[in-house]
Amino acid sequence: MLNTGESSHSGPLVPRAAAASKTFEPHGSAPKSQQVRWAIEFEKVSNSFGAYPVLVDLDLQVRPGEKVTLIGPSGSGKTTVLRLAMTLAKPTSGDIKIFGESILFDMAGKPLSGSQEARIRRRCGMVFQHFNLFPHLTVLQNLIVAPTAVLKQSKEQAEESALEYLHMVGLQDKARAYPAQLSGGQQQRIAIARALVIKPEILLLDEITSALDPELAGEVLDVVRGVAHRSKVSMLIVTHEMRFAREVSDRIAVFDRGRIIEQGPPEKIFSHPDSERTRAFLQSVLNH
Amino acid sequence: MTWDWNFVLKILPRLMDGVWYTVLITLASSAIALGGGLVLAILETVSTTFGQAFVRFWLELFRGVPTLVLLYFTFYVLPEFGIVLPAVPIGIAVLGIVYAAYCSEVYRGSLITIPAELRDACVALHLSPYITWQRVLAPLMIKRAAPALLNYVLGLFRETAVLFALGVPVLMGEAHEVGYENFRFLEPYTLAGVIYLGMNLPFLYLLSKLKDKHA
Amino acid sequence: MRAVLQYWPVLVQGLCITVWVAVWVILGSVPGAVILGALRLSERRVFRLASMLFIEFIRAPSALVLLFWVFYALPLVPGMPRLSPLTAAILVLALDGAAYGAEMVRAGIQAVHVGQTDACHALGLSKLQSFTKVILPQALSQIVPNFGSLARSMVKWTAIVSFVGVQDLLYIGNNIRGQTFDAVTVFCLLATLYWILTVLCGVAFRVLEQVLPLNRALRAARMPSQAAPEADVQGGAQ
Repeated sequence: MLNTGESSHSGPLVPRAAAASKTFEPHGSAPKSQQVRWAIEFEKVSNSFGAYPVLVDLDLQVRPGEKVTLIGPSGSGKTTVLRLAMTLAKPTSGDIKIFGESILFDMAGKPLSGSQEARIRRRCGMVFQHFNLFPHLTVLQNLIVAPTAVLKQSKEQAEESALEYLHMVGLQDKARAYPAQLSGGQQQRIAIARALVIKPEILLLDEITSALDPELAGEVLDVVRGVAHRSKVSMLIVTHEMRFAREVSDRIAVFDRGRIIEQGPPEKIFSHPDSERTRAFLQSVLNH
Repeated sequence: MTWDWNFVLKILPRLMDGVWYTVLITLASSAIALGGGLVLAILETVSTTFGQAFVRFWLELFRGVPTLVLLYFTFYVLPEFGIVLPAVPIGIAVLGIVYAAYCSEVYRGSLITIPAELRDACVALHLSPYITWQRVLAPLMIKRAAPALLNYVLGLFRETAVLFALGVPVLMGEAHEVGYENFRFLEPYTLAGVIYLGMNLPFLYLLSKLKDKHA
Repeated sequence: MRAVLQYWPVLVQGLCITVWVAVWVILGSVPGAVILGALRLSERRVFRLASMLFIEFIRAPSALVLLFWVFYALPLVPGMPRLSPLTAAILVLALDGAAYGAEMVRAGIQAVHVGQTDACHALGLSKLQSFTKVILPQALSQIVPNFGSLARSMVKWTAIVSFVGVQDLLYIGNNIRGQTFDAVTVFCLLATLYWILTVLCGVAFRVLEQVLPLNRALRAARMPSQAAPEADVQGGAQ
C-alpha cells in the first residue's frame, strides 16, 4: 500500500478493491472528505461560447470511486464538462465542487485565489485526446515533473514511484525514451501513468483513443480497464468506444445539445433506453 | 540644469530641418531598397546561378559588416578613385543598397509561397514571361511581402540617425550640432528622441493595419 | 598596407573591446527579452500593455539616439547618474536587444502547442513552473535560431559605441586611418574583422541549438530505433 495512513479514513466509504496488489490511494485527502457524498458535483452549470450555449443548467454528480461515462454526439458539451472540472475553463454560471469544496468560490462567495484553486484541483488528474506529453523530456522526466515540482518529492522517490507506474502500463523499458520515439498507443499509456503518479482522486479521460489508430486503441483501453477495476479512483470519461463504455462504467450519461437527456446503468442505456434521441444516437454509432 | 522652454523654441526650427532631411533620406533610400530589392529578387529567380551568387555575396557582406563601416568605407574610399560626392547621396545610396539586399530576401520568401499552379495557369493562358511578372507574380509578391517590407523601411528610417557620422544634417546630426554650439544637451537630445518616437507612429499604425488585413 | 599593420597591438585591443561589449550586450539582452516576451502574453492587460509600450519606446529611437541621450542628457536630469561610456553603451544596446528579442520570445512561446499548457495545469504545476519547466524549454527551439541572427546584428550594433568614446575596433580603425591615410586597407580590415566576429557568433548559436532539450529529443527520435535506447540511457545518466 502506498499510503496506509489514509486508507482507514476512506475505508468505510469505498469498498477496497479486493486484494489488488496495486491500489491507487488518493493523495492528501483531508479527513473531512469522509462525510462528503460526492467526489465531483456540478450544480446548475451553464457555459457558452459567445452566444452559443455549450452547457445548459447541468446537474451531474459522481460518487467517490464511481466510473461515469459521458456519451453523445460531437459538440454536445461532453469535453467541456471535463475541462470545467479540471479548471481549464470557467463556467458562465453555476458551481462545481470537488469533494464538497467549490473550485470557483470560497466560503464567502468570492472567486478563489490561484493557490486555493491549485490545492483543490490537485485532486483531479486528466488524460487528453492528444496525449500532451512534454516532447522535450524523456518518459521518466515526464512522470516526475509533477511529483517533484508540485508534491515536492525527492527526485529518487519520484523516480521510484514513476517506475512502478511505468511497470503498470507495461512500458518500464521505455523510461529513457523520448515521446517522439514511441507509438501513439504507447504515448497515451505514458500519459495515463503521468496522470496517475500524482495520485488523483478523480481521473478525467477525454476521448483518449480518438487520436489513435484502431489497432492501438486496444492497448490503451486495457490499461484503463486495469486501473478502473483495481483502484477506487473516481472516473469521468468521455469516449466514442461504446463497448469500452459499457464494460468500464457504473453509470452512463447521454448528452445532447448541452444537456443530459438520460442517465443510468450501462445495461439499461444500451439495451432499453428511455429517450428516442438516445436510441437514435446509439444506432448511429453502433451501426457505424 | 533645468529644462529651458525658451531654448527649446530657439532650436526647434533647426531640429525641423533635421526632420526634413530624415524624411527625405528615408524616402529616397526606401525607393532604392524596395525597387532594387525587387529587381534583385527577380534576377535571382530568372538567372539562378549568377543572380543567386551575386545576391548571396551582398547579403552575407551586409549581414556581417556594420552599416557605419560601410558608410565610412564609401565616404573615404571613393575620393581615392577620384569620385567626390557629398555626404547625402552617399548616405542614401549605402542605406538603399544594404536594405535592397534585405528586401530581396523578403520578396523571394513571398515568391515561393505563390503556388506553382498559378504559373502553370499563366502559361496555359499564353501570357508572355514579361506580362506574367508584371501583371501576376510581381503584384502578388509585393502584396504578400508588404508587412515585412514595411518593417525594413521602419528599420531603415531608424538607421538614418547614423548618417550624422558623415555630417549629414539628419535630426540626430542637428541635435548634436545644436548641443555643441550651445553646450546644452538636455533639450536637443530629449527633443530629438521624442520627435523620433513620434515619427515611428505612422509606421506602427500602418503595420497594425497590415497585420489586421493579413490575419 | 604595412603602415596599417604596424598598429596591430592597438587593433587587437580594439577587437577585444568590441568582443567584450558584444558579449555583455548579448548576455544582458537575454533576461530582458525573456521577461518582456513573457509579459507580452500575460493574462493581465496592464502587463501586456506596459511591456508593449516599453518595447516600442526602446525601439522607436534608434540605439544611437538612445545612447546619446543616456550619455549626454541623462546626467543632467537631477538625481540621475553619470554613466561611464562603456556602461552606457552596454546598457543601451542590451535594452535594444531585449526589446527586439522580446518579440522572438513571444512568437516562440505562442508556437508551443496549447495542449502543453493544459497538461501543466492538469498536473498542478504553477504558472511559473509551467513556464520554466515546460513552455520555455520547448519555445527555445524556435527562439534560439532567431535570436542567433539578432545576436549577429548586436555585434554590428556595437560599432556605434565609438561615438561616446569607447575605444572599440571602429574607434581604433578611424584613428589609424587618420594617421596612415590608408582608408582602403583600414576599412577592408575592419569589415573583415566584423564579418568574422558575426560569423563566429552565428556558429556559437548553431552549437547552442544542438543542445536544446527539444532538439535533442527530436534528434533521438530520428536515430535508428535499435541504437536509440542505448544512447538515451547514456544521455540520461549524464
